[in-house]
Amino acid sequence: MRFDSAALRPFRTGAVVALGLFAAGVALRPLEAPAWQSIRAGQPALRLESLKDALGQGVTVGLLGGFRAIVADLFWIRTNTIWEGNDLPGTQTSIKLVTAIDPRPLYFWLNGSRMIAYDMPNWRIDKAGGYDAVPDAVKRRFDEEQSSVAIKYLENALEFHPGEPLLILEIANVHLNRLKDNETAAKLYLEASRHPDAPFYAARIHAELLRKLGRNAEAYAFLKQLHPTLPTNDIGAMPDVVLGRIRELEEEMGIPETQRFQPRHASAPVLPAAPPAP
Amino acid sequence: MSVASVPFSFSRLSLIAGNTFLEAVRQKLFNFLLLLAVGLVASAQFFREFNFGSSELKFISDFGFGALIFFGSALTIATTAQLFFSEIENRTALTLLAKPLWRAEFVFGKFLGVFAVIGVFCALTIGLMMALLWHREGQLMDIRPEDFANGRLIAYGDLVVVGVLQWLKFGVLAAIVLLIASFSNTNLFTVVTGFFVLVICHLQYLARDAWGNVDNPLVGLVVRVLGFVFPNFQLFNLADQIGQGAGVSPIVALQVAGYAVAYIGVIGGLAVYSFRNREI
Repeated sequence: MRFDSAALRPFRTGAVVALGLFAAGVALRPLEAPAWQSIRAGQPALRLESLKDALGQGVTVGLLGGFRAIVADLFWIRTNTIWEGNDLPGTQTSIKLVTAIDPRPLYFWLNGSRMIAYDMPNWRIDKAGGYDAVPDAVKRRFDEEQSSVAIKYLENALEFHPGEPLLILEIANVHLNRLKDNETAAKLYLEASRHPDAPFYAARIHAELLRKLGRNAEAYAFLKQLHPTLPTNDIGAMPDVVLGRIRELEEEMGIPETQRFQPRHASAPVLPAAPPAP
Repeated sequence: MSVASVPFSFSRLSLIAGNTFLEAVRQKLFNFLLLLAVGLVASAQFFREFNFGSSELKFISDFGFGALIFFGSALTIATTAQLFFSEIENRTALTLLAKPLWRAEFVFGKFLGVFAVIGVFCALTIGLMMALLWHREGQLMDIRPEDFANGRLIAYGDLVVVGVLQWLKFGVLAAIVLLIASFSNTNLFTVVTGFFVLVICHLQYLARDAWGNVDNPLVGLVVRVLGFVFPNFQLFNLADQIGQGAGVSPIVALQVAGYAVAYIGVIGGLAVYSFRNREI
């Protein structure tokens, strides 16, 4: 029997092609690696963990590099439709899917966490028989469980948007409004307020929570430090409101007139004297 | 006169490329996909109502690149396969290759023709998207001048860079399709395999992440080898960096462009090798 070398030609060609591609991949890795590292650092959405929820959901086209924004938007509309039906597992899954497809917009993270923390406990109470039938301890448990999910979700968001004050504020809001944990909320409002892009109210709420916790001296010191940093031309800064709270604390703490805080820039009069009797 | 007796000729190569280009632009498929992509980019403004997360200009840019990538990939795969197999099926390849013409001239001529067509597609789509963004940004500057205190927000140079890199990615894809066509017997097989390879190249980094550290050393080795065999197409996904921080880094753009050009050369060379071993 004669050996026909021509019969092996397709295999030989295939092997050479595969070997050539492999060699090219190895040779080009030093060129690819630094560029890939840089691109990935700027796009956390490219991490496997963030895409696990999205894979197999028919969103491959969106993940191939195009239409990510529009696919996420369409899934957000679907999320709202599911949300209208008070479908807890469906809504929760859909919320996570949207941010898995496109984790860039804060809108999805913030509104998704609000659905989880504020709406879902009510759905669970309704399902368990309504507000009158469900014991307070069970209501509290529902609040705690949903808050925990929302906080984890927002902490995940912080991996994509490190140090984003709006996300930290949202976690603080959950601690304050759902868990009634003023201590943790105060810490988080302070953390958010330290960010240059933080809204001014973060610092004001921090001080108010210190007052609620009975730490007036701390609140007074904080507000005295805060006031000189507030711009007078920004409506959200409200230096007069802050000065008013400083004066209230001075009254409460019995600080003598001579030792009271003197604002550096002129503000509108605070706690004006009562008008003269007619 | 045999092929070995004539030197490699760029003029013959450019003749094939020019002919391929003319053939491609006369195709209904090219015009259809171009119209779809241009229509979609132009209609991005009407889809603004569906936008919840990102800023309006970012949404238009994302939408435009989405159209470019989706229709550009479809066009690259379908056109390359169709133009290659039309030569085989019409027997014009036999006539051509019976003359003193290198197979490398034939393959690279085909490649350059398709690459030029895709270039026209990319230029039109990106040009339209930039015009749309410029127009809308101008309108927004009139409505909310406080948001544009430092001038225009869109880095139009970055849009061009990302558009060029996408074009290069389509070049790598066209070379891959030519490589598949060089041993495939049918147009359909080439198109379907081309789409599968496109998906693999886009998602191969996920496999590298997921299976690179598996306990089974054999599986790990196979995945690592596959990670080297397929080019990483996510590398070209720089559109997300437009308008973020310092924008698209010129060094990264050059590295990615170099990666694409090197792959085009290597895969094109392998397509020539495979085509030389094929009986027509």
